[in-house]
Amino acid sequence: MERRRFIRTSMQMALAVSLGGVAGYSVLSSTSRKMVWQIDPFKCVQCGRCATECVMTPSAVKCVHAYALCGYCDLCGGYLKPDPNARTTAAENQLCPTSAIKRKYIEEPYFEYEIDEALCIGCAKCVAGCTSFGNGSLHLQIRHNECKNCNECAIARVCPADAFQRVPYDTPYMIKGGFTKESAAKPTEKKG
Amino acid sequence: MEKNFKYIFWSVVAVLVILLFWWMFRDPTGKFAESLPGADNRGKDSIMAGPPVNIGEKFEFFGTTNTTLKGTWTRFRGADYDNIVKNSVPLKSSWSGNEPELKWSVDLGEGHAGPAIYEGKVYVMDYDEATRSDALRCFSLEDGKELWRRSYKVPLKRNHGMSRTVPAVTADYVLTIGPRCHVMCVKRETGDLVWGLDMVQKYQTEVPLWFTGQCPMIDGNKAILAPGGTSVMIAVDMATGKVLWETPNPGGIKMSHSSIMPWTFKGKKMYVYSAVGAVLAVSAEGPDEGKILWKSTAWNHAVVAPSPVCFPDGKIFLTAGYGAGSMMIKVSQAGSEYKVDVLKQYPPKDGMACEQQTPVVWEGMMYGIEPKDAGPLRNQLICVDPNDVNKVIWTSGKDGRFGLGPYLIADQKIFVLDDEGVLTMIKPDKNKYVQLAQKKLFDGVDAWGPMALADGFLMLRDSKKMYCVKVN
Repeated sequence: MERRRFIRTSMQMALAVSLGGVAGYSVLSSTSRKMVWQIDPFKCVQCGRCATECVMTPSAVKCVHAYALCGYCDLCGGYLKPDPNARTTAAENQLCPTSAIKRKYIEEPYFEYEIDEALCIGCAKCVAGCTSFGNGSLHLQIRHNECKNCNECAIARVCPADAFQRVPYDTPYMIKGGFTKESAAKPTEKKG
Repeated sequence: MEKNFKYIFWSVVAVLVILLFWWMFRDPTGKFAESLPGADNRGKDSIMAGPPVNIGEKFEFFGTTNTTLKGTWTRFRGADYDNIVKNSVPLKSSWSGNEPELKWSVDLGEGHAGPAIYEGKVYVMDYDEATRSDALRCFSLEDGKELWRRSYKVPLKRNHGMSRTVPAVTADYVLTIGPRCHVMCVKRETGDLVWGLDMVQKYQTEVPLWFTGQCPMIDGNKAILAPGGTSVMIAVDMATGKVLWETPNPGGIKMSHSSIMPWTFKGKKMYVYSAVGAVLAVSAEGPDEGKILWKSTAWNHAVVAPSPVCFPDGKIFLTAGYGAGSMMIKVSQAGSEYKVDVLKQYPPKDGMACEQQTPVVWEGMMYGIEPKDAGPLRNQLICVDPNDVNKVIWTSGKDGRFGLGPYLIADQKIFVLDDEGVLTMIKPDKNKYVQLAQKKLFDGVDAWGPMALADGFLMLRDSKKMYCVKVN
């Protein structure tokens, strides 16, 4: 009889510990935040390494466009190469090596620019042009539908501006406009 | 068995041959889309089109001022076109407490037009967004009270601001150019309309990107303007509005944001213009007045804002933004013929270059702010010897970046305003960067308008407001 009670009590305690463990693990899992890589656009120096260092081909880094910041210029420093022959869509006037930016006339004097991400290789040539001559509305972001979220990001290792950061999984982007220099100043987990 | 092997062998060979031919004759670029002009479906509703404009149609009088001030800043880059205030009152060499004092400010339409000053009055070519009108506004320099306004309706869409030009002022007249190339001449004291000229209508001027940036010139009794279109340059009688001469434009040179600079070379006075398409000089006197003396298409960029910096020895420094960089040319004369040689041409990171403002020459050295595409030098004030514009003697350093802001020299001090309203006072030292004082005066946005200074009042502006600061 004592032996039976001992076995039953032991079984009950084992079950309770198991349930407690599972519950605890679940709670911990739900409260600990997954992190993903992202580029701080205010730190990015458009060095071009995002196009060449990513393990993905083409790179998981793409140009994104903050429409609210865009000046919708005819002479767009992100679309046209510096000092272009003409402000047209001819290949010789385009800055993008893959013609990934589509330009559309809206009304005089405004033009809209849209990124074709399938063509974008993340070279940042347009970002440099837009930053130098425009409002900086074109900027790089890691696209999480492409990114493998490597533990040790190959681009982050060589980024000269320390622009790569781990950010919470539920807020994975730093799009200019909503994301500002002030919000960039808030601490996030750095690379490494 | 052997027969089957032959069949298999020749079948494989046939397949390989077919594949070889397919590979050789297949166009691997067949799915490529060509990038050709016109894919953006650029519209034909040109900015040149628009309803007729009745230049100077409306006048509003608000009051008068009693002033004893006698100082002047009569036009873009001042009386001598060098951006140096001559005979300035002594200015403070350091600032403490609330110095320099912000005396007054006034709201303006979005733009970058700087003011001119004449004996206690400030003249600014504004754009009134509420009434959609160009408006020449006259203020009291001492207290900012608006005295009168002469305006005319011109519908515009904002395009990085609207107004961009500095009026030219004499004792008798004020001459303005509006965003869409409307020229207006009024009496300086009363604001009475003298004449108006629509350069788009009369000369088929192509309105520059982001509207007109050319500041008008008054030379004696003549208004000197560079419309492009059918006439590269014209002279208009200030008193009557009669066109005195027109310089033909067979090369199709277009109006730039640069302004005409007067230059006397080997005793010959000429007007130098850094246009879109070429740099050229038009005779300013004598029997050949109004004729092109020389022209060089080696200088040809889509956007040119800074004006030419002309030196007595025949050298002319040209610079522009948006990747254009700079060029030094040398004009020489043999008999009645002029020759232009390109001495240097380089990208912005390799020496003195500017995007919007024009460099200033002081005691043999040239000072200017580098554009954003100048690499590590971006937005820094730099000093070079005009004889070697690639050798940077000093810079304001990585902590001394001033955006695209304006600068001028007065009382042996360089005043620099950055994009966000920080005013910095610098000693124009030949050997090193010497900062005398710095203060944030206002929360500015795109404070790019040229400065004006007279009687110790320094006029500044950002995209929405004009400010008067006491610096003596």
